[in-house]
Amino acid sequence: MAIPDSHTRHLFFTGKGGVGKTSLSCATGLALAETGKQVLIVSTDPASNLDEVLGVTLGQTPTPIPGAPGLFALNIDPEAAAHDYRERMVAPYRGLLPAAAILSMEEQFSGACTMEIAAFDEFSKLLGDPAATTQFEHVIFDTAPTGHTLRLLTLPSAWSEFIDSSTGGASCLGPLAGLEKQQALYAATVAQLADPARTTVVLVSRPETAALREAERTRAELADLGVSHLHLALNGVLAVAETDDTIAGAMMRRGAEALAAMPAGLAALPTTVTPLLPLGTLGLDALRQMANPALIQAPGDEPDSDCILPGKLSGLVEELAQAGRGVILTMGKGGVGKTTLAAAIAVALARRGHPVRLSTTDPAAHVAEAIGESVANLTVSRIDPAAEVAAYRAEVLAKAAANLDPNGRAMLEEDLRSPCTEEIAVFRAFARAVDGGQDAFVVLDTAPTGHTILLLDAAEAYHREVSRTQGDMPEAVRQLLPRLRDPAFTRVLVVALPEATPVHEAERLQADLRRAGIEPFGWVINQSLLASGTRHPLLRQRGVSEAPFIRQVADQLSQRCALVPWLSEPPVGSDGLDQLMQ
Amino acid sequence: MKKLEIFDPAMCCSTGVCGVEVDPVLVQCNADLLWLAEQGVTVNRYNLSQQPQAFAANPAVLKELEAGMERLPLTLIDGQIVATGAYLSRDQLIEKLDLIPSAPPASANPFRVQTNSGCCKPGSGCC
Repeated sequence: MAIPDSHTRHLFFTGKGGVGKTSLSCATGLALAETGKQVLIVSTDPASNLDEVLGVTLGQTPTPIPGAPGLFALNIDPEAAAHDYRERMVAPYRGLLPAAAILSMEEQFSGACTMEIAAFDEFSKLLGDPAATTQFEHVIFDTAPTGHTLRLLTLPSAWSEFIDSSTGGASCLGPLAGLEKQQALYAATVAQLADPARTTVVLVSRPETAALREAERTRAELADLGVSHLHLALNGVLAVAETDDTIAGAMMRRGAEALAAMPAGLAALPTTVTPLLPLGTLGLDALRQMANPALIQAPGDEPDSDCILPGKLSGLVEELAQAGRGVILTMGKGGVGKTTLAAAIAVALARRGHPVRLSTTDPAAHVAEAIGESVANLTVSRIDPAAEVAAYRAEVLAKAAANLDPNGRAMLEEDLRSPCTEEIAVFRAFARAVDGGQDAFVVLDTAPTGHTILLLDAAEAYHREVSRTQGDMPEAVRQLLPRLRDPAFTRVLVVALPEATPVHEAERLQADLRRAGIEPFGWVINQSLLASGTRHPLLRQRGVSEAPFIRQVADQLSQRCALVPWLSEPPVGSDGLDQLMQ
Repeated sequence: MKKLEIFDPAMCCSTGVCGVEVDPVLVQCNADLLWLAEQGVTVNRYNLSQQPQAFAANPAVLKELEAGMERLPLTLIDGQIVATGAYLSRDQLIEKLDLIPSAPPASANPFRVQTNSGCCKPGSGCC
């Protein structure tokens, strides 16, 4: 089997964005359904593409998949779930409380926290309440990206610890008010996850160092939560006979090196290997191939693509350099290479003699590592959530605790351990980094899509608040949204890979940005096999299939775009990064 | 011993630590209430977004709400409204509750707070 062969009732797929969680969970679900089982696939990912993979429009109740008897799927839409949750909290008081009071309650239940809690609530109903899925023999969760998933899973235990240890009573537990009643359900959910007889968690990874490192982090964090029935699914492994093709050789070598250096904790897990497919993974036929590589037909001798390729990244950098300063944001889903591109652009601008500050909010990023050696005019920093939180706590205590008695101070310290504090601390760091764009270039690789949108959303909310109160707000925060919206100050580069799902996801990201009043400057299509010059049959077939997506980006989606080839040498160090410009 | 009740505006939490800036008024207020509870005063605190039933069940509070959201926060002692639109200082609470002062007095100025300007701003990424 090229897919996890597990017989537990629940299966979870988790991993870094873009590793193929949705495809693998669908392939696994389809294979189980084809042995006569009743199977439900559930997505809790706000950026889910379950619809695309299965080729059917899904809703919040199980929908049968045409052509696959026994297979059902549903999408948990966090926004709709948040709306329902808000209604549950507010509706009983309509008519009892004045309209203005109802309005202010509704506002309070409109934030990101509510959305997260609501999504978890829906998820728990499926997992913690057996009656909800009684007709299915297997329930497969195509979970959200790793960090998000873990937060969903750990919040209840973190919060119940927080309640227990809180000394002051009335404390910063926020929307927990509506959550406390469900403690039993959440406890049942976590118990289900930790029960090896009932649940398997599949860590999905590509044969790449960063993805494997992320999988290892997840493994360790799950182990801390008592979840130990794990499986490793290596997806997209290129394994062909001897080849004299530079690209194919490099891809195999890099994959093999990454796997050889795999952390010991991962190497000890039961593992399946899914080969790199010549075509994408949309539709039932592709999913069947994923599970049974024997079905894959050898690539034919297809003609070369006559696709006109977009220009190089160096052309885009030339345009960016003209402003002489400002903020450059690389945005896109996890795994598309935002960090590498941000680093390459920063190095290229610095080499032109511009002062450049490169900063990352991606916790999985190793930007300093990517630069390798120091480059003149370039400074690199990381928005490290742990460090930001510590600094923020110290600042708050210094400012607010001066007049407090020991008990008051103890309570404040306790409150600063709440889950919100990190969000605030990171947000402030982001605003500060953007502020630096007044007199230099600031290049930021933002965290995955959902988080990015939250930051922008937060900026908007703060902006409104600030406009009204003109209170004691840092100037950097006050200026944030106007700066992000100013095309002369901020240039957003949308990053995508030349495949169906990444392009569609980037298209959604662009729509979100436009709703927030931000027009992307351009797009970068990364890791193109078509542009790589490979002659290997399988990779060539994948390359040819990129053409429609490249043209869609160039002709319809972007004002300007650049194409970056798949590189045979990994883009590490400043010389490695220079390759991206060529 | 007297009973003290605070009816807060809708906010994520009542401690003041989770905004872009910490709200020192809320931090101080929280510490004052904790101190009062230690002196034996019964302290109950209600947040409009989390305990709306307490607002709906109290006719005097409802009447204030109908007059406008800026009437919040409300301070009640033994069911009587003693302050609207601002938190009382520790000294003022001591006086209204007929306690003997024993702690160093905090600032005497009641600060105005705006409805919704408390702890977590809507959409702040916090709640």
